[in-house]
Amino acid sequence: MNRKPWAQSSATFKVQLALVSTIPVAIGALFVILGGFDFSIGLIGVFLPIQVIVVGVFGWLKAKKRGLGDALLIFFTTFFSTLVLVLLLSVLGSVIFEGFKALSPHFIYENNRYVGTTTSLEYGGVGHAILGTILIVLLTTVAAVPLGIAMAVYLTQSQSKMRGVVRTVTQSLAGLPSVVAGLFILAVMQFTHLERSGLTGALALFPLMLPTVARVAEESLRLVPADLRMAALALGAPNYKAFFQVILPAAKSGIVTALLLGLARIVGETAPLILTTNMNNTTNLNPFSGPMASLPTYVYNFLGSSYSSSQQRAWGAALVLLIFVGILFGTARILGRKKSLKTSKKAK
Amino acid sequence: MAIDQKSGTELTQRRKLAAGPLSKGDKWFFRATAISANFAFVLVALIVVFLFVNAWPTLSAQGISFIFGDIWNPDAKHPVMQLGPMLWGSILVGFSGVLLATPMAISAAYLIVYLLPKPAARVATTIIDLLAALPSVVIGLWGIAVFSPVAISWAKISNQLLGWIPIFHVKDPNSAFADSPFIAGWIVAVMIVPIITSVTREIFSQMDDGLINGAVALGGSRFSVFRKVILPTSSSGIIGGILLGLGRALGETVAILYVLQLSFKINFFSVLESRGGAVASWILARFGEASNSEFHGLMAAGLVIFLVTLAVNMVASFIVNRAQPWRKN
Repeated sequence: MNRKPWAQSSATFKVQLALVSTIPVAIGALFVILGGFDFSIGLIGVFLPIQVIVVGVFGWLKAKKRGLGDALLIFFTTFFSTLVLVLLLSVLGSVIFEGFKALSPHFIYENNRYVGTTTSLEYGGVGHAILGTILIVLLTTVAAVPLGIAMAVYLTQSQSKMRGVVRTVTQSLAGLPSVVAGLFILAVMQFTHLERSGLTGALALFPLMLPTVARVAEESLRLVPADLRMAALALGAPNYKAFFQVILPAAKSGIVTALLLGLARIVGETAPLILTTNMNNTTNLNPFSGPMASLPTYVYNFLGSSYSSSQQRAWGAALVLLIFVGILFGTARILGRKKSLKTSKKAK
Repeated sequence: MAIDQKSGTELTQRRKLAAGPLSKGDKWFFRATAISANFAFVLVALIVVFLFVNAWPTLSAQGISFIFGDIWNPDAKHPVMQLGPMLWGSILVGFSGVLLATPMAISAAYLIVYLLPKPAARVATTIIDLLAALPSVVIGLWGIAVFSPVAISWAKISNQLLGWIPIFHVKDPNSAFADSPFIAGWIVAVMIVPIITSVTREIFSQMDDGLINGAVALGGSRFSVFRKVILPTSSSGIIGGILLGLGRALGETVAILYVLQLSFKINFFSVLESRGGAVASWILARFGEASNSEFHGLMAAGLVIFLVTLAVNMVASFIVNRAQPWRKN
């Protein structure tokens, strides 16, 4: 394996490389644009075989069998990674493009009272769903975050032998199918005669948020140097003071990241909310009674109808949801970046 | 003030050890964390118990045929509810998703760890994580409106080229190729690529550099190092990641509901036929109009898919934890 490929690549090699990687794309594009081929046929039937042959021959000419293997390896990893990138960009692009058509100021703050499936987009909006999502998610957070952090503390600070088992169970809870979380709360409702409301929705999201918070918090607590804790203990601080006054402040940004990633995990969950809350077209600020709308169920409901204005509403709500996720994810990223910079400086 | 019995002199008071293992505050601190940690077990137990109690009427009436039969008739005088086609459909979609996602995930991980320069690798990691954060309803919306038409043309091409293989065979020559397990597999693949990638990337990046350098020094090429050193040493971790992805795929609900025609005419492996199944999606699809007896049937379906995903995930996290010894304290 060439560990420093840039060190020896001469100008001619670079030109050859550029030719090898652009010519098949150009031929494929020619077939699609001028030949009137379907895009998929152009991709699978024209571009792929030509690219594989060209890359293979190029590698063979450079270094016989070794070059062939390397060239194909690099081509296929790049191709598949590009595929992932294209899929992601396609999701983001289509939601932003389609959702933007529905977006307008009143779409953000108005609720859907008097709005039917065919009502034009000049009326109504997702205001009630935004508020509903925020309330439901807040309720879940209040319960899941302290518990998740306590789990992380158990996994990092205690010396118990059960830690491995707890970690495995928590990780497998992270794979809990979201529809099962909804069914679970439904079963609980059968026993306790709870009414469908924002609260039941929040309860259904709880088992989904808990493992995410626990895992990310555990990793951030682990990043705190053990010396800090040992020093606090040596000074005579009891474990709980060492945790609250030394470790927690040091891991603050990591804990906030855990909170944000947990929020991003549940803010778009659809199936549990469909099972445990009732759709509402008006604003309801009381999560303990009455139907409560939320962004994912809003998307789900309006997508079920075939009218174009309803579809537009679904796209618009999806864009709002995506913006929520983006803000949470972006903030978590920035905080996480800062944290890793700090720790790496300390390590030096 | 304590007094020494022999000499009668006063002793200075003993300093109290604040951080003893038995200090009261610490006892409560560790007790509280232990209780919250054990809540994970309580939660799993609660889910099983509550689902089981609600599922019992159906399970006791249907017996083992609940899993293998293929009739769903909840409102008859003697309701018959059998989950076979949906369960098999979940497995079929899950495996197609894993088959499609694995090459993409390993490629992305290889690209990030071994090929891209540091800043680009960081951007690529962020992109993959962002993909993991996309809500499934958004993926479903994209799947039905944007991706399906493209995937249909891919399906047509594979049918024309490879139709002689039973997997790609379609009975009806004028089939629309829509709503097939093939498309559902692609949608699921989009959702599990980031899971497999992040596990694989971490294992690649923690690999012993000495191994790779040694192989290079012995004259290994990029390909032979990948094939003979990197893959064998990381294979167990990758398999763990794949199982994690499979667990997620088996439980996927909303996105599959949009792009798959749920049918009780079992579809064994013709991935291009417009019928298939998925337990989680079936629960959601039937739920709105479920009668009391069907409610119990859906609870039983939920119990089955929960136990299956729990088993897959347990094995997966066990393997992944074993493959990442640097994560243990």
